[in-house]
Amino acid sequence: MKLLESRGLLTLALAGAFLWSLTGVDWGSPLIHTGGGAAARTFFLALFPPDLSPDFLGVALAATWPTLAYAVAGMTVAVLIGIPLGILASGTVVSSPALRLPAALVSRFSLGGLRAIHELVWAVLFVAAFGLSPLAAVLALGLPYGGILGRIYAELLHDVPPEPLRALRTAGASPMRQFLYGRVPLALPDMISYTFYRFECAIRSAAIMSFVGIQGLGYQIQLSLHDLLFRQVWTLLLFMLLLVVLVDQWSSLVRRKLAA
Amino acid sequence: MKVAAVTAPAATQLAAEGIAKSYPGVQALAPISFTVSPGERVALAGPSGSGKTTLLYLLAGLLQPDSGRLCIEGQDLTAMRPGKELARLVGMVHQQFDLVGSLPVVHNVLAGRLGQWSLASSAMSLIWPRERRLAQEALERLGIADKLNQRTSKLSGGEQQRVAIARLMVQSPRIILADEPVSSLDPALAEEMMRLLVELVEDSGKTLIASLHSPYLIKKYCSRVIGLRRGQVQFDLPAAELTEAVLDRLYDLKAERI
Ligand SMILES: Nc1ncnc2c1ncn2[C@@H]1O[C@H](COP(=O)(O)OP(=O)(O)OP(=O)(O)O)[C@@H](O)[C@H]1O
Ligand SMILES: [Mg+2]
Repeated sequence: MKLLESRGLLTLALAGAFLWSLTGVDWGSPLIHTGGGAAARTFFLALFPPDLSPDFLGVALAATWPTLAYAVAGMTVAVLIGIPLGILASGTVVSSPALRLPAALVSRFSLGGLRAIHELVWAVLFVAAFGLSPLAAVLALGLPYGGILGRIYAELLHDVPPEPLRALRTAGASPMRQFLYGRVPLALPDMISYTFYRFECAIRSAAIMSFVGIQGLGYQIQLSLHDLLFRQVWTLLLFMLLLVVLVDQWSSLVRRKLAA
Repeated sequence: MKVAAVTAPAATQLAAEGIAKSYPGVQALAPISFTVSPGERVALAGPSGSGKTTLLYLLAGLLQPDSGRLCIEGQDLTAMRPGKELARLVGMVHQQFDLVGSLPVVHNVLAGRLGQWSLASSAMSLIWPRERRLAQEALERLGIADKLNQRTSKLSGGEQQRVAIARLMVQSPRIILADEPVSSLDPALAEEMMRLLVELVEDSGKTLIASLHSPYLIKKYCSRVIGLRRGQVQFDLPAAELTEAVLDRLYDLKAERI
């Protein structure tokens, strides 16, 4: 009952916040830029065809490489952060009751801190610290993504069905052994699919690292946009799409293997 | 092969002295007392909510009694180390078999050894299964040796039931508990499950305590039946003396009979 009431209150508060936010929009001036129609037409017409000259394809390919590399390296860092912190935050392996709560609190707090800051903000910080080096891009991706992965890993490990764990317990398995033989295999398929989904997001994030001057597809898009070379922009967007589709294919391949 | 006759019938293997358990607002189990001798096959009967699961969980060490004492082979259950010691004395087969579907069969069977293996061995075994022969032999006896390396979720219900029994064989506890082991099975598989359980129990002089509703299965496979009602023992009879009238009274079926 209490939960229902508080949920009703929460809904009301959220609806109120939404309505209030509408009053913040300046409805008087036109919402859509008047010259926008023509600009949009030029932009879309440039898709037929995109710039497929060998020269530019070379440029696009060269720009794809760092984007993919940053995404892969960033995700590696993210997984390395996410697994240990996620396990601790799930509160399922620390058997001493005195340590369980502090461990869960500290790890949850660290995960929250990592993902509270957007990757671009991390990028600004790391570029300031290391200059425009690949390390800045990798860490800027890895830290917030590690925070996100850890949070999801913790939830997935915590929320496995209790029955198989209980059965392991009656077979004599300690909480740590229940973790190895129950929680991990039960949560692993979801953890892997979620990691792949985040990998796709990491590719997009790696591309927009260009906003702070880091090389890659986004950087080239910015250059081409600046020169109004929309056909080149489309080529670069298609490369982006290709990367995401490739990751998606890889992900379904891995998941099929896991299910077999 | 009946070891029950060999062991002294008077010896007490399990003694419950006034054990009780309540949940907020419900007395799931009133203080009850009973003893079980080695080799007995005890059926627990009773309507829904009568406390069968609660009692079995207390015996399995999954729950702690609010009061009273539970002794198994002379040792207080609460004083036992849950993994190593308790798992040697008591094991349990669960209603849905509750295996880990994403693991290969071999690990689900060898999970019966987790109480005896060190943590490092347990972890290593997930990569290089140790004591593989144990699992192999158990599955061979149950006629599904070819499934050793299959993903458990791919097995049929009847095969999963055997995997659960194979785990028990590998664990080899003195007392086997079963919470409604046949309730999700068709009549043929239900009979098969009881046959396998009783075989396992008789072969090595173990004790069986299972919640069961079917008077047919109770009479065929058990030696004794305890009727639970509202957390209390309503009757405690040799299975052969179980009559329709006694069961109807337990399940409150009088009104429906003409
Ligand atoms: N975790 C719990 N929290 C609160 N009450 C519980 C809990 N588990 C059981 N109970 C209550 O305790 C009583 C006994 O439940 P128990 O599960 O032992 O009955 P049962 O004989 O196994 O019933 P069934 O045949 O339906 O499985 C019931 O009234 C039930 O509602
Ligand atoms: Mg029950």
